[in-house]
Amino acid sequence: MTHRSAGVRPTHLSADYVVVGSGAGGAIAAAELARAGARVALIEAGAWRQPQDLPHSILGTFGATLDQWGVSITRGRALWPIVQGRAVGGGTVVNSAIIVRTPADLFERWSSELGIDGLADAVWAAQDEIEAELEVGPTQPDQLGRHNALALAGAAAAGYPSHPTVRATPGCAGAGTCLQGCRRGHKRSADLVYVPQVLDAGGWVLSNAPVRRVLVQGGKAVGVAGRFIDPITGRPGGTFRVDADKAVILAASAAHTPTLLQRSGVRHPALGEGFRAHPGTTSFGIYPDPVDMVQGASQGWASTAFRTDPGYKLETLSMPPELVAGRLMGGGKALVDRLAAYRHMACFVVGIRAESVGTVRAGWGGAPVVRYTLDRADMERARHAIWTLARTHFAAGAEAVVPGVVGLPYSLGPDQVDRILQASLDPRHWVAILSHLFGGAVMGADPQRAVCDPRGRVRGVRGLLVVDAAVIPSNLGVNPQHTIMALSRTFTRRLLEEGA
Amino acid sequence: MRWILTRAMQAFFPHTDALPGLAEEAAHAHLDRLDAEAPLLFRLGLIAGALAFTLSPLLTVGLPLPSLWLSAERLDLHADRAASHPLYLYKMLIFTLKMNAGLAWGAQDQVRRALALAPLPPDPRTTLAGEVTP
Repeated sequence: MTHRSAGVRPTHLSADYVVVGSGAGGAIAAAELARAGARVALIEAGAWRQPQDLPHSILGTFGATLDQWGVSITRGRALWPIVQGRAVGGGTVVNSAIIVRTPADLFERWSSELGIDGLADAVWAAQDEIEAELEVGPTQPDQLGRHNALALAGAAAAGYPSHPTVRATPGCAGAGTCLQGCRRGHKRSADLVYVPQVLDAGGWVLSNAPVRRVLVQGGKAVGVAGRFIDPITGRPGGTFRVDADKAVILAASAAHTPTLLQRSGVRHPALGEGFRAHPGTTSFGIYPDPVDMVQGASQGWASTAFRTDPGYKLETLSMPPELVAGRLMGGGKALVDRLAAYRHMACFVVGIRAESVGTVRAGWGGAPVVRYTLDRADMERARHAIWTLARTHFAAGAEAVVPGVVGLPYSLGPDQVDRILQASLDPRHWVAILSHLFGGAVMGADPQRAVCDPRGRVRGVRGLLVVDAAVIPSNLGVNPQHTIMALSRTFTRRLLEEGA
Repeated sequence: MRWILTRAMQAFFPHTDALPGLAEEAAHAHLDRLDAEAPLLFRLGLIAGALAFTLSPLLTVGLPLPSLWLSAERLDLHADRAASHPLYLYKMLIFTLKMNAGLAWGAQDQVRRALALAPLPPDPRTTLAGEVTP
């Protein structure tokens, strides 16, 4: 078993399969192939950190585990950060390990609109297995903390269904640090569950190894090439090349997989199209008693009651003071005075099931450039969502809410909640981030409209597969980790069945 | 440049009766780490934000002076208005400055103690760098 990272000497390896990206899609594909007896090289752009090596600070988290230190931004009417993991384990290291099975309506839509059939049963069967492997279970009452308990009570009082999140965090101590990575090792992230299986089977793991291009010869993917970088300074190190005798499998994220295909000379009219996301924003409630939101599970509460109409999901989010300091409006003493209420704040968040579609292209230096603007219908969803969250806060006993939209007062009282329904729909007046990215190399039956076929195979290049969120052709409206993992396992098994 | 950066960052998080402000040492420690580790784009964003803040009191408090020359009261008003200015690109530049200042402010021991949080230990480095066979 061998792991190689940040070397200065050129590296040249050969394997049956090369997997690019070690997050939810890549790690499970690599493990599946390794368990089948194949020689596998798993290649990751980010660093490998054991749980005890994960940073404590948010600044450290930016540098150690996020793509571009979290400062990639959308090009569009508003400049919103794009948050993606970049580490061995990918986003599973720094997400809240929320596990939601793929809703049936998605498979129906994919079948009727895109001709993608025969996926549902295979994906759900894979999800049964994954739930066992990740020791998935609901957040327990003693892991909730007051933060999540308030949300549960607020939703019940406001009259809509919600639940403790189902997560892959057996033995969670409720430290409230999921977003920094679990230093206790309680999160069953891909780096702890699936990457070791690759090593145990004799495969290779290369970290700090961003792939520059897929090597294509005679219409077939034959390997990848790139250059190591230093995990701390980012300075370039030695080159690497990994040959693939059977196939190259891409799982570098919905931002990086399409641009890697573009850099590698793949041409398809739909490449880089169909980019989607779950734009997210926050609503703070201010309560009479301390909430101490970083005590308890980081995201221990959720509701999908509004997933189909109007189209959003709700969750809690433990935000440390470093992040709240940047999120609240204002500056100077006014800002610090607002932060004095930090202990009394609860943070509820929304992920919009946005129908807006953007593009992702390789820009200067080959880095992804995402063009994406929410349309009016999606902004109305966002506005309705923060109104719902405000009502939830008040139903839970909050004295005030902080809607965080330019044009509204800094805080609103219970009798002012409907003012949110008049909030601006200009995206520039909102503070939001993009997480849960989809598309850019979508699958479908139509060769002209879909880069990949319904088995994840890239059209026009033999031996090249996409197994991450880049193939997902629509917004899920639920946390995507489980769907990505199950799609990856399904595509990888079908690849093995057909013998590449 | 370092002096301008630290002054601009501190303007967003002054000491109040309720909470400590951003200490100069904490701002320097933050900037030292960025110099050593952060990508160029991240550092350029902060520098652009600090310059925009320093040169723009005319936009916020109507005074054609750099923010370094403002009284404490005017500087405070400048910081508050700059953070929510209607010029979007200007506001986003200021946001990069405020975000960095917030990261440094919220990581300070004295701030965390005031918010009933334990101090943050130093961030470890990865032990799986270099060529290793685990």
